[in-house]
Amino acid sequence: MTRGLFSPFARVTPAQRVVAVGVFWTLVLAGWTLFHHHTAIIPTPVEVARSWVELLGQGLLVRLLESYALNLQAMALAAILSSVFAYASVVGAFRPAAKLVSQLRFLGMTGITFVFGMYFSGRGLQVAMLVFGVAVFYVTSLLSVVQGVPSGQLDHARTLRMGPWRTLWEVVVRGTFDQALDVLRQNAAMGWMMLTMVEGLVRSQGGVGVMLIDQNRRLNLAGVFALQASILAVGIGQDYFLGQLRLLLCPYSKLRER
Amino acid sequence: MNDATRAETLLKVEDVTLVLGDRVILREVNAEIRNVIRPGLSQGQVVSLLGPSGIGKTQLFRIMAGLQKPSRGKVLVTEKALPVEAGMVGVVDQHYTLFAHRTVGDNLLIAGRQGGLPRARAEARARELLGRLKLAERWDEWPANLSGGQRQRVAIAQQLLCSEHYLLMDEPFSGLDPNMKDEVCELIAEVAALHELTTILVITHDIASAITISDTLWLLGRDPAGEDGKVHAGARVQGVYDLVERGLAWRPEVQTLPAFRDLSLELRARFRTL
Repeated sequence: MTRGLFSPFARVTPAQRVVAVGVFWTLVLAGWTLFHHHTAIIPTPVEVARSWVELLGQGLLVRLLESYALNLQAMALAAILSSVFAYASVVGAFRPAAKLVSQLRFLGMTGITFVFGMYFSGRGLQVAMLVFGVAVFYVTSLLSVVQGVPSGQLDHARTLRMGPWRTLWEVVVRGTFDQALDVLRQNAAMGWMMLTMVEGLVRSQGGVGVMLIDQNRRLNLAGVFALQASILAVGIGQDYFLGQLRLLLCPYSKLRER
Repeated sequence: MNDATRAETLLKVEDVTLVLGDRVILREVNAEIRNVIRPGLSQGQVVSLLGPSGIGKTQLFRIMAGLQKPSRGKVLVTEKALPVEAGMVGVVDQHYTLFAHRTVGDNLLIAGRQGGLPRARAEARARELLGRLKLAERWDEWPANLSGGQRQRVAIAQQLLCSEHYLLMDEPFSGLDPNMKDEVCELIAEVAALHELTTILVITHDIASAITISDTLWLLGRDPAGEDGKVHAGARVQGVYDLVERGLAWRPEVQTLPAFRDLSLELRARFRTL
């Protein structure tokens, strides 16, 4: 039954997969419970579930929806801006700008918040912070996709009498669209990681981040865990949705991965 | 067989020299392809460029395709002797590159449109060509779903739709088993027969396949060392073999002929000196 489960690259049967998943989650729950008994601070799964029900009564779903809308708006803007920078990087004059945006990912957000605060407020500040935080990573990933286009494909476009701009559109933009969607899927998670911080900046705008800060301040770890689990569930759902969207818009991408 | 004649020049390589950094890759390469006329037949031209690995075949290929500028010299194509530019000559590379995000039909349509055909005519030509290459039913397929041989056919069709008559093929026999090589030889013969002006130049180091499909062979290589032991850098065309004259062109049973064996041995011996 376990043959192959511990060998690299071995084929795993569906039955073995069920066993592996079952054992993994049993170990997670056992580890969690043990940790709870050892520290007495970490809440039990039951306490987290109870807290989650309580939070539902306090408007968790509405808060999640507010955060989701904020994240969606920021992701859309980040995707547009990052695409412009990354695709423009094939033009010599714009390459330094794309490189600079990519390198800004090493900056901490602390001082930046002040600068953004001079130009934006309320929801605008939240969106601007999220867009900046995500775009610097998104541009980096997208630049790597653009630079990874084989020169043979560019030559292929030239043999079909395509000029430089048509080649950019056909080979780089359209040809890597499935990869760009995958990059978006990976980087969209970054938005959820930054959400607490940006929602904490402007609490009047609501969102699940504000709830999380409140629960944390009251040292209600069960509530914190419940909120984190909710964010995790929404994130996994979003990941699945973007994966399906990629298959719908680019059915060839599945074949390319074979 | 011997009533074939050679008429106007369709492709000419004139004094092409390529220097990359301080390395001379090609030196004063001169060669030409002329229209082969066979009375009563639509017979295109098939020329193979033979040479050992690393001699500069691919660089010459890129120059002839208009993808790279030579340091000196020029390549002229068509009966009007126009300087070659990317898009005038079709290119089928070793990977049979197609647009992976477009279906087979879309790949052909875009090539036809780029070649200047209106949409309806581009589609009609594409469907006709695909039918002649026995792939009519794969119109809506994604390239990733095609076998290597099918991809090669679609890549040929795509390039013919855009460049019309000229086709450069880079190592089309590379990594193929003997049966597949025979199939590719047949395919090249079929494509050459599509039009009188179809001109195919195959870059290869596969001597047997080159003799099987070609009417002319070009041998690319470096000059042998002189008496002073000095070797001239850069490859050039060391020999042109007219297979029509030798009675080896367009013969399905060519590989069984003594002349085929003799030429194979002769070329193999010359390979060692290049």
